[in-house]
Formats: sequence, structure tokens, C-alpha cells
Amino acid sequence: MSAGGQAASLDEKIGSGLKERTKQALGDEFLRKAVAYTTDKLKTGRLQAMDMFGDWEAWRDRGKAIREHTINHLDYYLSQFADNVTKKGGNVYFCSGASDAVSTFMEIADKNKAKLVAKGKSMVSEEIHLNHHLEERNIEAIETDLGEYILQLAKETPSHLIIPAIHKNKQQIATLFTEASGQHFEPETKVLAEYARKKLRNYFLESDIGLTGCNFGVAETGSITLVENEGNGRMVSTLPKVHVVVMGMERLVPTMEDLEVVLNMLARSATGQKLTTYTSLVTGPKRPEDLDGPEELHVIILDNGRSQQLGDPIFQEVLHCIRCAACLNVCPVYRHVGGHTYGTTYSGPIGAVLTPLIQQDMKEAGTLSYASSLCGACYEACPMKIPLHDMLVHLRHRKVKMKLTALPERVAFKSYQTVFGNITLFKLATKMGYYMQKPLVRGGMIKSGPPPLSGWTQSRFLPMLPKKSFRDRWGDLQKELAAKNTSGTKAKGGSAK
Amino acid sequence: MSTGQQGTMRGKDDFMRNISSRLGRREPLAEAPSRPFIGVPDFYRDRTRTQDELIDEFIQSWTALSGKTLVIDEAEAPQAVEAYIRQLAGDLGIKRISRWDHEGLEKLGFDQSLNEAGIEVVTWREGGADHIELEGLPTGQDGNWAKRSHLLHAAEQCRLGVVWPDCAIANTSTLALFSQGGKGRSVSLLTEAIVAVFRADQIVYRMGEAFALFKKQYPNVAEMPSSLNLITGPSRSADIENDLTIGIHGPGKVHAIILK
Repeated sequence: MSAGGQAASLDEKIGSGLKERTKQALGDEFLRKAVAYTTDKLKTGRLQAMDMFGDWEAWRDRGKAIREHTINHLDYYLSQFADNVTKKGGNVYFCSGASDAVSTFMEIADKNKAKLVAKGKSMVSEEIHLNHHLEERNIEAIETDLGEYILQLAKETPSHLIIPAIHKNKQQIATLFTEASGQHFEPETKVLAEYARKKLRNYFLESDIGLTGCNFGVAETGSITLVENEGNGRMVSTLPKVHVVVMGMERLVPTMEDLEVVLNMLARSATGQKLTTYTSLVTGPKRPEDLDGPEELHVIILDNGRSQQLGDPIFQEVLHCIRCAACLNVCPVYRHVGGHTYGTTYSGPIGAVLTPLIQQDMKEAGTLSYASSLCGACYEACPMKIPLHDMLVHLRHRKVKMKLTALPERVAFKSYQTVFGNITLFKLATKMGYYMQKPLVRGGMIKSGPPPLSGWTQSRFLPMLPKKSFRDRWGDLQKELAAKNTSGTKAKGGSAK
Repeated sequence: MSTGQQGTMRGKDDFMRNISSRLGRREPLAEAPSRPFIGVPDFYRDRTRTQDELIDEFIQSWTALSGKTLVIDEAEAPQAVEAYIRQLAGDLGIKRISRWDHEGLEKLGFDQSLNEAGIEVVTWREGGADHIELEGLPTGQDGNWAKRSHLLHAAEQCRLGVVWPDCAIANTSTLALFSQGGKGRSVSLLTEAIVAVFRADQIVYRMGEAFALFKKQYPNVAEMPSSLNLITGPSRSADIENDLTIGIHGPGKVHAIILK
């Protein structure tokens, strides 16, 4: 039952366990196929939806401008948002860290003598490992998003931000449901979904507290916007008597007009839908004349390392993220290894940037910046134009500056610097390289070598160094090139006449 | 009209001071920053559509999501809507439906003829389910749910809900429900199917127009409904091996009846 519990133990080995987890993921045939299939599907959907919407670049510019304006004036908008929530009778709690947020939640739970919490999908609750803490307090927390529910039964963590259980197949799900219920289930989607609907319905009805995240807070109205396809978010924010929201402090837009922009962009970027099935704006608890809806609304606003990015010329923009996961779907690294490899709540390029920043941990989490090819696909896919690829380079830089890279690596780069900074040494090194490689070369290729060369040759061949280096050939090449250019110009000039 | 109590606030001052100092300000910003732009790009904002185009766009998108539509003349509405609901309830084997306590639906007046056809109607208002006898609750007689109102209990056992959206958005085929009072959230949520009845002139092009209507209707935050629900097609999930599952928690069958 502890999606959070497992993540808590993983957190300590984000960097040092990365290689091991990568190996595991690469060896898992089903996972790799499922991840590739899902990310392709989502990516294609996104491209189609963008096309249909028209002038996507104009939308991106507008989305980015809105997020930038909001974050640059976050003190104003957050204050306005909180004031409006309380004006409507909601309670607001500002929490600087995860433990603060957890204890605030427990306080609300205790006051309501809560034994059962029905959870809508909330990444922030995973970030603070809330399930783990609830379990310790003997409060049952039920994940009600179908994918999250499956993972909770399997005691696993999400492998994708939007479709969390992509690594599970029907047979595994049927087995999980059979174990949980004592009934036998065939691995058929319809049957499994029907069981989940019935089972989870009772949790919605019985829960003491409904917990959700918040996709966007609207400052001018104090509304909590919930975006989802299943309806579980509506259930947990409608049926239990108490609704608790946990949200990152940056998840705001100034007005409902701005909300229109980000909602349209979120759905299209995340799943390729024009709009998710349910978009709900919760503005305060139920009103006196309402015959349903929660009697209490509590909004926990979390900092947890986010404010550290404010004012940072390089990283402030990471707070523009709207959690659509488009960057995951296009990332060549994510597409091969899936989300578990990252060992964190947030995976993919955004996870690799966000995790070290909000955890302020360059040693372990900072290693994730190497789980990237720096190709920039994430930036191109990002609806808010966050330059994730640049940030990844800056994180690597930061790690090096802090002397957090391995000693052999530092020595290697030091020598590299010395050799490449001195022409005599450089010439000597290329010559020596040519002769030293000889015992390893077979047919013009190095097919296996000792460490650290083996890191390369384990999976592919390395072409041998040529006898005459590029530098040595440069003089001849220049002449050749000059000759070509003059004849080329003549030919062009001739045809123009 | 007031909504009652003001909520509590905790830890705001320190939190805000930290943010503003990070942003290079001595004090938290107290005045609204100027906005060179608000909302959607102009090319999208300035699009106009005729009513027929709006209806077409709504239907096209709604149908693509597996929604069903019926367009009828307003004069024929009372008979046509009643017949549609009766047929649908018959097809699905439904004996009990819920509906909003809404002027438009009152005028259609289908309750009695549905009753005569053996279909019970729960109306979302105090006492709106007093005539309903429930065989029991899915959660048994103990626990939280058993303590809730008879109206909620009854609505939870209705398999079809009828609503009259405050407007519909053509561009995304979305029903906009400003849920409060007699326009209960549960009616559009707890059932297996919903029927939304609205007039063609209630269709707007984009979400922003629906929001503008909402803000115009409730200019003060204090009076805003606690729930604004945008519903775009049936409840769905792709969480089991990317297989599209319709009707996972909310209604899986969605019907729109447009009155012209």
C-alpha cells in the first residue's frame, strides 16, 4: 500500500542506483515495448491535436508569457488566490517543507477522526510521501485513479506522469485484482474496469476525506482546477465531507481567461485530447443551498524547494511546468528506460531537472542530468517552452563545480584539459594513441577494449584512430578545398550568364 | 447573499516574504501588476461562427467522443425529450433517473409520463427523493455513507441523470455546468448515462466565452457556485494496457439534446 513508502527508500539512491535500474529496465522486454507504444501514441496524439488547433507556436508563446508573468509576480497572485479561497470559506495552509505539509494533513485528519482517505491523482502527495505517513498512522489511503490503484495493489510507483501503470499488463492486473478480492478475474479490460468501478465507488462513498492535487489555482476567484478523464477527481471532491487539496505553490494562473490557455494546451500536450473529460473548478466548500459537495475545504500550499528557484536566472523557468509529460514522450532516454529508472516521483527530462532542484541534492539527484542525450527534443515538445536541455547542461556544470563527479572522471577531464590546451602534448597524444590502439584493432575497428573503453565497446564498435590525424591532413585539405571553391564559383558564374 | 464563514489562513506572511525577497522585492507586491495581454491569442479570440456552424462543430466533436446528439425543434421538445429518455431508459433497463431542479426541465414536464412508464424520477431538491424506496445501500447500514441524506442515497442509485447545462462549448464539445443548489453535482456524476438538454443559442464557440458568462453571472467571488463542471464526453481511462475504457467512474454514455 505504499507507493510513497517505496519512493522514500528509492530517494536515497537516485544517483548511485541509476545504472542498476537502467540495466533492469533495458532487460525488461514488456516494459520497453509498453513504454515505446504508449509514448508513441501520446506523442502522435499531441502532434495531431496541435495541428488541429492552429498556430501552435503562437499558443506556446502565449502560454509561456502567462506562466512567466505569474511566476514573476507570484507573491501577488498567490496572496490573491489564498485570500479568495478563505473568502469562500476554505482554509489555507502555507507549508515550507514536506514534513510541514504532512503534519498539516494529519492535523486535519485527526480533527475529523479520519480512518479512510480517498485520493485523486496527486503528484505533490507522492512528492511528500503522504501515503507512507498515513500508513504509519493507520489511516487507510486509497488511490482512486485506475492506474494509481493498480500500482497501489502492486506496491509500485508510477512509471509515467499521465499513464502511471504502463508497465503492467492485463494478466498482471487480473492477478492483482484476484489477490485483492478473492474473486477470479480474466485478463479482460472490460471485466477489470467494471470491478474497479464498483470497488472504488464504495471507497468514494465511505471516505472521511477526499484528497486531490490542483492542476491550476485561479488567483482572481480562488478556484482549484482539477483536470482528469475518469471522474475520480470529481468523486473525491464531491462525496466525502472533507476535501483536502495539496498543491505546489507555483501552480497558478491570474485569471479565468488565462486558464483557458493553459487548459487547452495541457490536454493537447498530455494526451492529444482537445480537452480532458472533466475539468472542474472548485471554489470553496459547498454553499448553504447546496445538497451535495464537501462541507470543508482545506488547501495545503507547498514550497518544498520551489522558492529556491525564484530569482535564479537559469532555473526559475522550471516553475512554469504544467506537468503535461510531453517531454517524457519525446525523450530518447525515457523512451528506452521508462519512469522507474529515474527512481523519483517526477521522471523524464522534467524529473531530471526538477528533482535535484527541489530536493537540493546535487550528489544523488543531480546525477539524473546525465540521463539525457541533450538533444533538445524536450524543449521542442514543451508547451511552455522551458529550455530543459540547457538546464540539464547547467546541472552537470553545477555538479562538476561542486566536485561531485567521480574521482577518475575528474582526473580524466583534468588530463583532457592539459592535453587539449597544449599543441605539443596534443600531437604527441594522437600519435601515441595510434600506436597504443594497435593490439586492440581488428579490421579497422576496436571491438572490445579494457575499461573505460569497454563502456563503449560493450554495445558498439569504435573506429580506429587513423595514422594521419585530421590536424596533419589539414594543410592538404585546405588546398583541395580552395581549388574546389574557385572552380565552383566559375561554374556558377557561367550558368548565370 | 453570503456564503457563511470566512476560512482560516496559516503561515502566509513568512511564506510571502520569502517569495518576494527571492524575487528581489522588499515587500510582497500589493498592487496588481499590469497585464500587456490576458488570455488566448487574438486569432483565436476573434473567430466568429454562425449558430449552425456552432451546432455542427459541437456535434462533430461530441460524436467523435462517442457522444450521441439529437437536434429538435423547440416546439416539439416536451414530447421528443420524454420519448428520448424513455427509449434510452428502456434500452439500458433503467427504472430510476435523477434530474436537476431546473426551470427548463420543469417546463418540459416529463416526470409524470416517465412515472407512468414505470420510471421513477429523483429531483435534486430537498425532499426530491421522498417518494423513493431504496432496497439498501451498496455500503451497508453502517459507516459514513449510511449517515448521508436520502436524496444522495437515491441519486447514487439512479443510473441516468438529466441536466440543463448553463452553456455548451462548440470547439471542444463541452457541457458547462455551474453546479449549485438545484443543479447538483451528483446528477452529472454518479450515473452511468447523462442526458444534457439545452437550446442552440446556449452554444458558444470557446471556453473563454463560457467563463465570461460565469463571471458575468457571478461578479462577486463570494457568490460563485462552489463547482463549475466542464464535461467533455464520457468518463474514460487508458490505464489498462492503453485499452480505452469508457465509463470508468463517471457516466460512460453521454447524450446531448439540442433545441432549435
